[in-house]
Amino acid sequence: MLRVEHLSKTYPNGTRALTDVSFEVADGEFLVVIGLSGSGKSTLLRCINRLIDPTEGKIFWDNIDITAATPADLRHIRRNIGMVFQQFNLVKRSSVMTNVLSGRLGYANPWLSLLGIWPDEDKKRAIKALERVGIADKAYNRADALSGGQQQRVGIARALMQEPKLILADEPVASLDPVLSHSILQYLEQLNKEGITVICSLHFLDLVHRYATRVIALKDGIKVFEGSAREIDRAKFKEIYGEEAQEVRATAL
Amino acid sequence: MTRNALIIAGLVVVYLASYRVTQIDFVKLISEAPKAQTIVRAFLTPDLFVRDFETTTIRVPFPIPCGSAPEADIVSSGPRLVPSVKCAAEKDKFTLEGFSLAPNADIVVRWHFPDDRVLTAARTQTDDKGHFSVAVDAKPIAKSINGVPSQLEVDTNTAVGGWKASQSLKDVMQEIFVTIFMALLSTSAATIIAAPLSFLAASNITKRGVFGAAVYYVTRSFFNLIRSYDPLVMATVFGFWLGFGTFPGVLALTVVTIASLGKLFSEAVENIDTGPIEALTATGSNRLQTVIYSVIPQIVPDFVSYIIYHWDINVRISTIIGFVGGGGIGFYLSQRINGFEYNKAGTAIWAIVIVVWAMDFLSAEVRKRLT
Ligand SMILES: Nc1ncnc2c1ncn2[C@@H]1O[C@H](COP(=O)(O)OP(=O)(O)O)[C@@H](O)[C@H]1O
Ligand SMILES: [Mg+2]
Repeated sequence: MLRVEHLSKTYPNGTRALTDVSFEVADGEFLVVIGLSGSGKSTLLRCINRLIDPTEGKIFWDNIDITAATPADLRHIRRNIGMVFQQFNLVKRSSVMTNVLSGRLGYANPWLSLLGIWPDEDKKRAIKALERVGIADKAYNRADALSGGQQQRVGIARALMQEPKLILADEPVASLDPVLSHSILQYLEQLNKEGITVICSLHFLDLVHRYATRVIALKDGIKVFEGSAREIDRAKFKEIYGEEAQEVRATAL
Repeated sequence: MTRNALIIAGLVVVYLASYRVTQIDFVKLISEAPKAQTIVRAFLTPDLFVRDFETTTIRVPFPIPCGSAPEADIVSSGPRLVPSVKCAAEKDKFTLEGFSLAPNADIVVRWHFPDDRVLTAARTQTDDKGHFSVAVDAKPIAKSINGVPSQLEVDTNTAVGGWKASQSLKDVMQEIFVTIFMALLSTSAATIIAAPLSFLAASNITKRGVFGAAVYYVTRSFFNLIRSYDPLVMATVFGFWLGFGTFPGVLALTVVTIASLGKLFSEAVENIDTGPIEALTATGSNRLQTVIYSVIPQIVPDFVSYIIYHWDINVRISTIIGFVGGGGIGFYLSQRINGFEYNKAGTAIWAIVIVVWAMDFLSAEVRKRLT
């Protein structure tokens, strides 16, 4: 279980990205975070694995205080939390295989991994992860030779290498067209059904309805809604997205 | 309005002054052209190949007076002497021609008497084709003794064996390799030093907190400071310090290259995509692992291309450094020019042109492939 308590983040330049955000995520949930661009979704997700240090508040995961973890503890916590990014964040010049294997760095022998030496077990695990997302045949291609949808699948395979209990997905389909969006989210849904908790930020109402077990909404860094996906209708969506709702719907539907 | 007029007046003064101090002399440029022609011709005919020569003596029997001894058989090819008459009476004059001898050579025609004493008969020179023609007196002293005639003889150089590399070609080959290796060594040494430093001078890696910012500005300033010194100045300083030669040359090149590579490397590091760094940090990998897996693959092609480019540049600079005593082909060239050995200088110039062109081509090709 993940518990976020009174989380606030003010960036060094004074931007207040999150203000007193609290919520809980039970194991096995598919929590969707919605909100306008700039509302603080990315900041929130990055606070959970401390890519960003929150200014105030605490985050507990199975009663471990992530916000108080030492660097060594933090690495142990992080390897249980997979992350998927809007821009995929692959090393473009490296092979798909190397990108996937790098998801295992938190477990690997530090010295051997620096030399690029991986145990067979990890290589098999990488192939299996690629098979799960249907691109095992691309293992030895350069990452930038793949299409956007394929690259995001590599991103998911990399997260799978961590054997994560939680996956943070920061607008994983915002760079993809609607058909590809579903195919990517279906992988996340599948993993969620196998017991991995998913926290995912999304932009489009239909995707929210289709995948979320629960939704929270942010507006200017403040949590303005928490509830089931069904409670989010057009009106609510418009309230959250304000004037820009028209535009969002136009691209969403 | 007046300001513009002042600026124009100022510019006129500046250009007039520059015209005076540079002692521009177009008349001389034309009138002294033949001098340039001489040196350009020397440069265009570099000393590349030589043959071994052997001095041989060519003779032709010449009976004085006629009938006192057997006349010579007529030879019609190869290096040979041909008198205009086959024999002569005492005090007669005749013409002696030589064919297929060493071209443009000094020739001494001698009488070789039956008792083996010799006497100079005439002096002349061969033309481009190795031919000469000279008037000879049938001296009484050269008359035949007991049916044995005196002979006319000349020494000539004839080539033996094929063409082979001249000494200066060999020297130039050696010196050009010295130069290439000087450039290679200094570029490598500079890379080893500049690569780690460049990370410290990259704002996205270092500039965190007060300490990080301090490290960033110190390394940046270090690069900028040594960049402001010219390789020639460096070479002169190291030359006085260590005595002139290749070692101070390599040191000077290394220092200059550290600054230049350091700046380029740190810019390459600053331009990387930070997404993968974030992604790998999120997997729980440590800092070194993150750098090796996300930063290194992004910078290696840029780094390699800069290294090769600098090797190329350093070959040129080390040629110039050679002129101030830095060793290698530049030094060889300056020595030959100072010694008025322009053909040998030409050999060096050609070697430099070829190597610079080849390095240029090579580095462009390699860089094209690295993307
Ligand atoms: N590194 C940063 N430094 C300063 N301000 C930032 C930084 N990252 C994000 N912000 C600001 O914080 C706010 C929330 O941003 P973000 O979390 O990226 O929102 P979202 O992901 O919902 O678009 C925005 O106003 C954004 O400009
Ligand atoms: Mg975002």
